[in-house]
Amino acid sequence: MAGRYKEGVENIPIEQIADALFPEVILTTVDDFLNWGRSWSVWYLLFATACCGIELMQFGGPRTDADRIGSVFRATPRQADLMIVAGTITYKMASRVKLLYEQMAEPKYVISMGACANCGGPFWYSYSVLRGIDKVIPVDFYIAGCPPRPEALLQGVIEVQKKIKKEKYLRAKKSEAGG
Amino acid sequence: MLQLFNWLIKTFPSLASHQELTAFVLFIILGLLVLTFAAVVAGSLTYFERKVAARIQSRMGPIEIGLGGYIQWVADAIKLLLKEDIIPENVDKILFRLAPYFAFLGAGLTYLVLPFSEKLILADLNVGVLYFLAVSSITVIGILMAGWASYNKWSLIGGIRSAAQIVSYEIPSALAVLPVVLYAGSLSTQDVVRAQAGWAGFHWMIFQNPFIFISFFVFFISMLAENNRIPFDLPEAESELVAGYNTEYSGMRFAMFFLAEYSNVFILSAFAVTLFLGGWQPLFGLSLKIPGTAVDLWKLFSFFFKTSIMVFLVLTIRWTLPRVRIDQLMGLCWKYLVPIAFFDLFGVMFWMVL
Amino acid sequence: MSLTRSEEWYLNMGPHHPSTHGVLRFVVKSDGEVIDEVKPDIGFLHRGIEKIAERLEYNQIIPYYDRVDYLAAFNASWSYVMAVEKLLGIEVPPRAEYIRVILGELNRIISHLISVGSFALDMGAVTPFTWAIREREVVNDIFEMVTGSRLTYNFPRIGGVYQDVPEGFREKVLQFCEYFPPKLKEFNDLITYQKIFIHRLANVAVITPEQAIAFGLTGPNLRGSGIKYDLRKNRPYSVYSEFEFDIPVGTGEAGTLGDAYDRYMVRIREMEESCKIIKQAIEKMPDGPVRAKVPRKLKPPVGDVYAATEAPRGELGVHLISDGSSRPYRMKIRTGSFAAMSIVNEVSHGLMIADLVALIGSLDVIAPEIDR
Repeated sequence: MAGRYKEGVENIPIEQIADALFPEVILTTVDDFLNWGRSWSVWYLLFATACCGIELMQFGGPRTDADRIGSVFRATPRQADLMIVAGTITYKMASRVKLLYEQMAEPKYVISMGACANCGGPFWYSYSVLRGIDKVIPVDFYIAGCPPRPEALLQGVIEVQKKIKKEKYLRAKKSEAGG
Repeated sequence: MLQLFNWLIKTFPSLASHQELTAFVLFIILGLLVLTFAAVVAGSLTYFERKVAARIQSRMGPIEIGLGGYIQWVADAIKLLLKEDIIPENVDKILFRLAPYFAFLGAGLTYLVLPFSEKLILADLNVGVLYFLAVSSITVIGILMAGWASYNKWSLIGGIRSAAQIVSYEIPSALAVLPVVLYAGSLSTQDVVRAQAGWAGFHWMIFQNPFIFISFFVFFISMLAENNRIPFDLPEAESELVAGYNTEYSGMRFAMFFLAEYSNVFILSAFAVTLFLGGWQPLFGLSLKIPGTAVDLWKLFSFFFKTSIMVFLVLTIRWTLPRVRIDQLMGLCWKYLVPIAFFDLFGVMFWMVL
Repeated sequence: MSLTRSEEWYLNMGPHHPSTHGVLRFVVKSDGEVIDEVKPDIGFLHRGIEKIAERLEYNQIIPYYDRVDYLAAFNASWSYVMAVEKLLGIEVPPRAEYIRVILGELNRIISHLISVGSFALDMGAVTPFTWAIREREVVNDIFEMVTGSRLTYNFPRIGGVYQDVPEGFREKVLQFCEYFPPKLKEFNDLITYQKIFIHRLANVAVITPEQAIAFGLTGPNLRGSGIKYDLRKNRPYSVYSEFEFDIPVGTGEAGTLGDAYDRYMVRIREMEESCKIIKQAIEKMPDGPVRAKVPRKLKPPVGDVYAATEAPRGELGVHLISDGSSRPYRMKIRTGSFAAMSIVNEVSHGLMIADLVALIGSLDVIAPEIDR
């Protein structure tokens, strides 16, 4: 079912379908279904650089248990949906962060975890620290704290899920193909 | 399958004139059925594995998604389908694209000779056991292709490790199956299961003979190694090789590897049950007074029940043991398992002669 | 001449690699799986803490020490406040010293837990790691109760600690001391005496006592090579001379003296010893103030001072040079991980790639301690 409508979307402009019949219902349903799948399976990249990395590990541990909401860690960026940048990023590391982000497959999301990744944190004054990873990669959510608690990170991932649920996946695909 | 075909021809005489076409359509339908079954089994297994892992690690595992977390694998499948399919620039494009299908082929083809029940088997080949041994090692071609094509040194090491490992462990696993074949006097999987008829499991292969009892463990260890399960998961060793042969794969192609891996877990358990633990032979024998169709269902249930227990064992091992090193892996195979398997084979021969 | 010929290749391990414990990079020259040479490439987490300290007042530097060694934040900042106290000649009240010892040893336990847990993870066993994290959460709660933070405590102050321990602290710590040893035994049954695990680690990455001394190893890495050197015993600081405890050393019980398994076992035994120290300290803890009278504006006399504590990753020393102003002229941090990194190339020749992971895990290096 999904395939058929997807095909239709690729060939005919989406507004036409929407105007012609009542496909709004169907389209949102398909979108919702796909988004439901995507949002409950947010696999994160194990990318721990500093202090926040320990809380990132505890995030997957028994008390917070990321697996509850379907998040597991992957070691390789190719299979990850969410990049949690946990810790200070130095200038030497910045190019690697960008590379890792580029290696991830679309659609991808980024959480900037902790003060260092948000803005440099206590190392703002340092000569070697990148003042915020949003200078090299786009960030979806920022989590405050030095380091944030695992619960805060869990909330961050839930926010990512909410964001995914609001997206119009098929429309985005169409505009990509059309543009 | 042949019976089904004959039955179709008999029931719908009009089909008789289009025998080739009927056979073709039948094949396709059955093939899709097998694929669907494999996908559902593999998907359920990922849920089962995550739950088992979580319980061992005093966590909860997936629960929030609904139905107690069972549909987690559906969400994962949707997600992986929708992901971008990255083909990196320098890879060997043909091999890179083909590799996941080869990896799954090995697992998918073995379903052909798997006796689920007395009547439920796709093809009762007279060389079923041999076929199983041959086909199950196709997976290594896929893994080696993936490792080679990925243009990534970690993948390459993973692929080469896998090739060395699977080729080596073919020998003890084949040698461990031979005693069973000798005892059953047939290479057909159905005949092997039929040879184990009896009450309450005393006639299962594993209890018939002390040598076969040892063979079972040789077979089980070799199959763990062939399917890259911990403690033998060197090709995808997460802490050493990032993700091994599938490092560069994303989206659906990675899902195919995933599917192959979990299908293999099922196949490994199912064949251990078939060859050694009585297959579909009903639990508690036929002492239960139940009517015709119910017996078939009971047989099916017995098979799946025993297989589930084996799967549980495999998963428990996966989440308890550390990983061995490549030289220890090879040493275990050539220094211990192969001699033991030979010893068993000769032991069973003498046992049967005397 | 043989027809086949093998060629060495370079493998790039890190900076993003699951087993490098943070951001380290190793350029591995290997022949297939057998390693010829390992060149560590460090500096991915160089945050310039030593330079930042030069423009901060003495009081303001303490939080930065939590981030020098985030796994044992208390021990790291303890080194620093000890150095400043030595420079100013401040006498620390005994109650503060006891609180420091208790928190320092608790911190050692959770640091070692992460160390042995992630070591097991590197060896392919995931469950020990989650179990270690489970026990760690219990201690994290105690720290949260005392300091308000789970990881970076910012609790020691020059001349004592920030505040007295809250009500219920004593019971909670004693409860933990009862709770932890059985859990550690469970952990040992799961992984430490596991046959595969022992086979993976015995006789691997052997560091001889001579090598260990020559490369300046300290802490569990040195003791793993059989040398009984521990600052808590050999140069007792704080109130450590009042407690009875053993210094576990490697004995080569599974293979050779100084192999990876010895270093691992030293950490496991040290956790037991820490439990003993905590029990004694909580019994002996005196009443009284927790902070000496220290002027708000610190202006130490001109001079330099070196103070070190036995942190979980070896001697964590602080060298402070004061020019008489309210800011240090120069601060140098000596860490155990940096010394441990230097030995990687020396012992890795002839190891396999899987053994290199074992070597790095057994040295228990973390990136911020190396790069600072």
